[in-house]
Amino acid sequence: MRWATRRNVHIDRAACAWLIRRHIDPAAEFVFVDDPGDVPADATPFDMRGAELSHHGPDCSFETILRRYELTDPVLWKIAEIVHEADVDDERYDAPEARGLDVILRGLSMTCDDDRVLELAGPLFDGLHEYFRRAFTLGRPPA
Amino acid sequence: MIEWVLLAYRIPRTPSSPRIAVWRKLERLGVARLGDGLVALPADARTREQFDWIAEEIGEAGGTATIWVATAGGAAQEQAVAQAMRQARAEEYRAVIAQAEAAAGGGEGERRRTAKRLQAELRRIDRRDFFPPEEREAARRAVRALSRTAGAGTGGTTWGGHTTGDGDPAGGDHTAGRGGRGTDGERATAASAAGEETR
Repeated sequence: MRWATRRNVHIDRAACAWLIRRHIDPAAEFVFVDDPGDVPADATPFDMRGAELSHHGPDCSFETILRRYELTDPVLWKIAEIVHEADVDDERYDAPEARGLDVILRGLSMTCDDDRVLELAGPLFDGLHEYFRRAFTLGRPPA
Repeated sequence: MIEWVLLAYRIPRTPSSPRIAVWRKLERLGVARLGDGLVALPADARTREQFDWIAEEIGEAGGTATIWVATAGGAAQEQAVAQAMRQARAEEYRAVIAQAEAAAGGGEGERRRTAKRLQAELRRIDRRDFFPPEEREAARRAVRALSRTAGAGTGGTTWGGHTTGDGDPAGGDHTAGRGGRGTDGERATAASAAGEETR
């Protein structure tokens, strides 16, 4: 399936792309557009104004996708808190990791194109997921 | 002159909660209020995106919103808007300084708690500080000093906002004191100072 989002991806779009590839559509292909009007007819838009898979109410797009696809894994919701704070920064959650992740993604988007950012964000979010999976299992931060 | 992003919006008076939520978000972003239902921020990827989401939220609350990218009709107008934004931030920095000074006489626990809280507050102000006033450095120093006496981290964390120091349009009216380009220099100085402390 093809998925479309805005060019110059940042935290929310990078996280959504990872989520889509790992949990919704392993064969996902991503296209980047400048304007919502440029989304190809066969592509599902996300994190764009007017799209269903976007910000809604207080939720960022990552949270919207979790709800829409009924992904209830608490580890994914923990990552959602970090993505939310890195993206929206409204202190809805206590997520001190957000600041660092925001800086890392901003830096990547300065040195890499969108395809490369998604490629690098893959192992980054895989690692975050594993870290919090272990944290949930242990009930404390894993060493 | 710089590019601005404008959000023109109308939102129903009732129910009031989405209206208040939008108002709070705009305050948090440090917008310039240009008129009834018209707010502006210096345009960058982040501010445009933030306006996009607020526009979406306004739409979901039964209102209407459009986003525009614009330049001011004249440099004087732009400077007036920038100056008002700078003053709003200066007031916030002064409040931080006053709280840091008030806490200095307290016990160690209070000093540490206040230092932590003010560091977070500085970060919030920094993110909406597009035209840094002189008070910014003083506020950072005040919080650093308080952190030091409380044995907490040194306020190096206040670094890294999304200020647009190099596009300071109101710099021109400050040639006597600090030129428009002064901002970058100040940040570089502050950066090396912060670096030395953490080394």
